[in-house]
Amino acid sequence: MAADEPRRTTGLSRFRGPWRVVVAEASMLPSIAPGDWLLVDPTVTRWPRRGSVVVVREPVSGELAIKRVAGRRGDQVPFADGYLILAEDEAWLLADADEERTRAAGFGPPIDSRTYGPVPVEQLVGRVWFRYAPLRRVGRIRRADDATR
Amino acid sequence: MSRLSRWLAPTTVVRAHCDLPCGVYDPEQARIEAESVFRLQEKYQGNEDPVYRARAIHIKEERAELVKHHLDVLWHDYFKPEHLEAVPNLHDLFWNANKAASKAKASVDPADGKALLSAIDEIDAAWKKTGGPEKTRVAGRPG
Repeated sequence: MAADEPRRTTGLSRFRGPWRVVVAEASMLPSIAPGDWLLVDPTVTRWPRRGSVVVVREPVSGELAIKRVAGRRGDQVPFADGYLILAEDEAWLLADADEERTRAAGFGPPIDSRTYGPVPVEQLVGRVWFRYAPLRRVGRIRRADDATR
Repeated sequence: MSRLSRWLAPTTVVRAHCDLPCGVYDPEQARIEAESVFRLQEKYQGNEDPVYRARAIHIKEERAELVKHHLDVLWHDYFKPEHLEAVPNLHDLFWNANKAASKAKASVDPADGKALLSAIDEIDAAWKKTGGPEKTRVAGRPG
C-alpha cells in the first residue's frame, strides 16, 4: 500500500466510533445476516483491501451502510454500457447478495455502487472485522477471495 | 433481553441496503400527470395574459417532470426481462414516451401533449398484456 494513498481526514473524531453495529436488511447475505452484531474498526483512514467488509456513509441517502470493497483505485469496473477507472480516493462497493437472494428475503434488488457509483474515501466509516452475535456464528469477518469476485 | 446482552447490544444500525419496492405500479399515474400537461397547453393557448401564461408553463413543466419520473419507475421496477417476450418493443415504447415527455415539457402545443398521451397508452397496453392490473393493483385496477 503506497504511502501517498488518499486518506480520509477525520482526525481524532474517528475514535468516537462506531465500534459496534447491528445489521438491518439483507443485501450482505449469506455472509452477514440482518440482526448480526458486528465489531467495527473506525480508526481506519484508507480503503482496506479488496474483499474487506466496510461501513460507509452511503452516497445519496447519507445513511450508514455495510458493503464489500470490490474495487480500489485504478481498477476498471463495469458501469453503464462501458467501464470506468476508479480515481485515487475511490472504491467500488458491492453487496454480497444477488437479486434472487434479496427477493427471497422479502426485499428488492441490492443497492450498491451499481446504483450510486464509486464511493470516495471521505465516506468511509470503518472496517468490519468480527461478529459477536448470534453465538453460533461468532467469528472473524473474512475477506472474500479476490478470485471469486 | 438480559442485562448483559442489553449492555452488549450495538446502538448503531448499519443497512445492508436493499430496495424495498411497494409492488404497486400503474401507467395511469403517469397518464394523469400527462393529462395535466395537455390541459395546461390548451389553457396556455386560450389565454393572452403573460402572467397566466408564465404560470401555465411553470406548472406544465413540473407535471411533465413527474410523467418522466413515473415512467422511469414503471420501466425500471415493474417491467422485468421476461416481459420482453410478450412485448418485444418494450424499450422502444419507453424511449418514445420519455422523448414525448421531454418534448411536451418544452412545448406549448397541445399536439405534443396528445402525442405523449398516446405514447403512455401504448405502455398501458403493455402493462395490461403482462398482467399488470391483477398483479400490481391492490384489488385489480378500479374499473
